[in-house]
Amino acid sequence: MATIDTQQFGTLQYSDDAIFEFPEGIPGFEQAHHFVCVERPGLRPITFLQSVDDPGVCFITLPAKAVEPEYELDLAREDLRVLGLAQMEESLACLAIVCMPQDSAPTANLLGPVVLSRETMRGIQAIREDSRYSAVHPLKTNRTESAPSAATAKTATGETEC
Amino acid sequence: MLIIRRRRGESITVGDEVEIEILETSPTQVKLGIRAPKSVSVLRKEIILTREQNRVASGSPAVDDKLNTLAEQYRVTETGLELPDPLTPVAPEVSHPSALEPKRNS
Repeated sequence: MATIDTQQFGTLQYSDDAIFEFPEGIPGFEQAHHFVCVERPGLRPITFLQSVDDPGVCFITLPAKAVEPEYELDLAREDLRVLGLAQMEESLACLAIVCMPQDSAPTANLLGPVVLSRETMRGIQAIREDSRYSAVHPLKTNRTESAPSAATAKTATGETEC
Repeated sequence: MLIIRRRRGESITVGDEVEIEILETSPTQVKLGIRAPKSVSVLRKEIILTREQNRVASGSPAVDDKLNTLAEQYRVTETGLELPDPLTPVAPEVSHPSALEPKRNS
């Protein structure tokens, strides 16, 4: 097991077969070619996309379909080639990168979802050519009336529902 | 904004070194050919937008409180939704320094 000291998770252990290769990197982080998916108990459906090349690079993501239930994944032939696939597959994971600026509402990038193939263990941020979806899709922030500590306890009990 | 009407096969130039030719047109799309020196970056605008978003996203501090709220809002209850389930078996083990989540994600 390899380990990496991340800013987000402290020391993270991972095996080589958990690494998704991004042959083209990610726009803005073209040197980051290897990522692992990290989940934290109680925080599903959030998946963290942690770079193993650069410990400081970690994205918060949500399944595109959780953000927009009608979301349809559309991949260009070139994107499929990068993923090492001949055709669309059902098992592809489609994640929207979440932006949580400190002083404004969170958004998700539905225009450029991260698509992961477990079959080839490759990934790509596939930027769509149509403008049906936004790169800054606003996310819901309605809070239930609970203190942060209570919220933590609540999510811990909610784990099994996923 | 400068607006120019062009037909298929015609070109415009930008500066001395950049030429943009209209290769094909359809009711919904235009296919462009761009000749430019290597030093000139030619990108679809969506990529620039995504690059900017990625930089902000990667720099966002992930506060537990905010993450909990987000997870709560998008916790999926319907069946048949494509959660990244196939990823779970290969998800690495996390030892999180925070006392909030003492359990290991195995």
